[in-house]
Amino acid sequence: MNAAIPQNRILEGVRVLTLEQVHALPWGTSFLADLGAQVIRVESLAHLQDRKAGPFPDGRPSQEWWNEGGNLAYFGTRNKQSLCMDVTAPLGKDAFLKMAQNCDIVTDNFRPGTMERFGFDHESLTKLNPRIITLSSSAYGYTGPWRRAGSRARTVDATCGMSYLTGYEDGPSYRASNNYMDHSVGNNVAYALLLALYERNKTGKGMRIDLTMQETGVSAIGPAILETQRGISRSRMGCGHLWKSPHNVFPCRGSDRWIAIAVSTDEEWQRLQKAMDEPIWAADPRFETAQGRWNHRNHLGDLLADWTQTRDDQELMSHLQSNGVAAGAVLTAEDLVANPHLEERGYIEEFENVNAPLAGPRKYAGRPFRMPGVSFAIRNVAALGEHNVETLRDVAGLSDEEIATLSNEGIISTQPLPTETPP
Amino acid sequence: MDILSDIKVLEVAHSLSGAFCAKLLADQGANTVKVEPPDWGDPARREPPFINGVPDPDGSTIFLAFNTNKKGITLDIEQPQGRELLLRLVADADVLIESFPPGHLESLGLGYQVLSETNPRLVVSSITYFGQTGPYSNYRGGDLVVQALGGFLNAVTGSADRPPMGTTLEQMEITAARNGAIAIMAALLQRQQSGKGQHIDLSTMEAAVSTPSGLIHPYTFTGRSPKRGGSDGNVMDGMHLPTKDGEVTLTTAGTGGRPMEAWSEFLEEPGLLDPQFATRPSRLENWEELHSLVAPKLASWNNLDLMRETMARGLVIGLVQNPQQVVDSPHLAERGYFVEIDHPEAGSLKYPSPGFLMDGENPMEGSKSAPTLGEHNAEILGGQLGLSAEELGLLRASQVI
Repeated sequence: MNAAIPQNRILEGVRVLTLEQVHALPWGTSFLADLGAQVIRVESLAHLQDRKAGPFPDGRPSQEWWNEGGNLAYFGTRNKQSLCMDVTAPLGKDAFLKMAQNCDIVTDNFRPGTMERFGFDHESLTKLNPRIITLSSSAYGYTGPWRRAGSRARTVDATCGMSYLTGYEDGPSYRASNNYMDHSVGNNVAYALLLALYERNKTGKGMRIDLTMQETGVSAIGPAILETQRGISRSRMGCGHLWKSPHNVFPCRGSDRWIAIAVSTDEEWQRLQKAMDEPIWAADPRFETAQGRWNHRNHLGDLLADWTQTRDDQELMSHLQSNGVAAGAVLTAEDLVANPHLEERGYIEEFENVNAPLAGPRKYAGRPFRMPGVSFAIRNVAALGEHNVETLRDVAGLSDEEIATLSNEGIISTQPLPTETPP
Repeated sequence: MDILSDIKVLEVAHSLSGAFCAKLLADQGANTVKVEPPDWGDPARREPPFINGVPDPDGSTIFLAFNTNKKGITLDIEQPQGRELLLRLVADADVLIESFPPGHLESLGLGYQVLSETNPRLVVSSITYFGQTGPYSNYRGGDLVVQALGGFLNAVTGSADRPPMGTTLEQMEITAARNGAIAIMAALLQRQQSGKGQHIDLSTMEAAVSTPSGLIHPYTFTGRSPKRGGSDGNVMDGMHLPTKDGEVTLTTAGTGGRPMEAWSEFLEEPGLLDPQFATRPSRLENWEELHSLVAPKLASWNNLDLMRETMARGLVIGLVQNPQQVVDSPHLAERGYFVEIDHPEAGSLKYPSPGFLMDGENPMEGSKSAPTLGEHNAEILGGQLGLSAEELGLLRASQVI
């Protein structure tokens, strides 16, 4: 832990026990960890995919690959504790239930049915701990005909309707993102859990939250959901817009360099003309009105591209913005790390993971919000099983002897099995 | 369920991120008042398409979708009387969401300092495209501009050999709003301990950058910037393939590490077992041939049949559903996902709910529609602030409301 950074105390004393994999749920609980909750991630030697996911320092996993991944540090065990314990073994199951008795929140993202099979479903946990809040994050929820379906973020991108609306103009549909769904779902998880804690502060009662990826996705395309009910369909527009023009990306100098320009009003169009030094083509009466610019958007786009393509994207952005035109260079990750705006805002944070000495200091994206006096920084990244003893003793209340038994029987561990395939 | 029924929210935002953020709170029962400028109100009211096909300040679909469960008043805060009324509302509020260009509220005498002196318990959330500080803070934004500057356009969707492509329906604004709701809840929980409010500075550009698989750490770990085109030629794990009544995307998940065997059996296509498709790189290399085997087989399936049968075998697919198929989804119907809300102009429509059930209940049951322009002027300014009918008339005459 970096002693220089004060611990965020907003959720001090709140304990979260989480059986989580991949992106969405670990992303969600990382917000609670940032806020000072004790988030105990239960990991299993049989499922080390997230520790194999990397990215690894300089692209190469070392001998101790399991503590090195960048995703782990960014959200996987960020500010969390790791309890590596086989909860399918009877002693592991007992320890998990003792733990749950003294936790405020239990979360999972198994397919519906798995928690019940383990005996960790909401009903069983409530009997042990009436104030418990449980949250299950799944693709399609605990009810309905699709409840047993598996998913990936992009399959949910498809089933929620977002992919259908995404694509180049007049072209086929595209997934909107490989993992935008994970991102939104994780955010929704954090929001739902904070709501449940807020409610419990008032009523003393816990609750069961059945959160789904598909439904979170649908909630993000509300306008299209309303439109279709009145027979209005939205066409795919790429970077184009239903009624604004010019509104697209235009090529700039260099390989794969682009600028986004978004003009809404006639006034903005006049500002763009001024920024271009009033070329004759722009005075074309077909471009005078918003409707005219939209109808002739391809022609207008070609002419504008002729003007942008000899220019540097970031210089052009600065020039257009100083003329009051909404424009943004199409940045890469490399550009973002060097970006002066993010630099001045301290958005990119550097963190050195003591559990991954070979990684050295690396830069990470920060949280997109700031609050005076509250730190959301990465403070520590849990190594595999780093908190086995601490959590079993302090949260589950096990004796040293009981913990030694778990260790001797291989139910808790701090290293992958010798038979594990490295990434 | 009305978890936030003890919370009063003022939205003085005029942006989709601010509107969606306030909606997230309003849909959980927060008493939310949307403060709009007189005349046409929130600029979103002018955004086509309109639900009845004709421009109408109460008929914009984006406005209807993003403003459920709010009360609406008009108030010209550029006028001193309007500012004074806003401060009277602030005195009794818990949260204020604003999205003006940095410095604008200060110039009106409504900066954080003044707001927090008026009400030290107030949580102010400023949601802007680039944040309150830094060289871009006065840049003009917009969803596309933020998709560009936030790294989304270059890396996330689209094809490697084509220009950057964005996603739809202002998703960066939505992402910013979701982060805003988290930050506001954190500030409200902090206030339970400290008794004091907070000032949240949220940047939509930064919300775009902070996706979990992310841009920044993959680059700083490997030295390579993530690049668009992940679905190019990816028949088994990314492309969209036509079915009889739509499209589908396949995955190699749920196949026990033997994807081609599993899919060959399911699609009854022995050609998939050819060694040229055995590994992920070889499938990408020979994608056209693979496509020519898989696509005709899928084309004979109906979407919902395909979903049922793959699910029964543990295979994982995604139906590329259009919005109408989503509205008609038997699965979502059984879960009670959509809530039916009536509106004087739009009529009765199904609205999406937040995406989670709490103790089996949809938190948006019993929801109210977006407010018509100035719908609650009398209730809020008259009822809550106690202005007389005469005073309201005068405000109307001087176009403060």
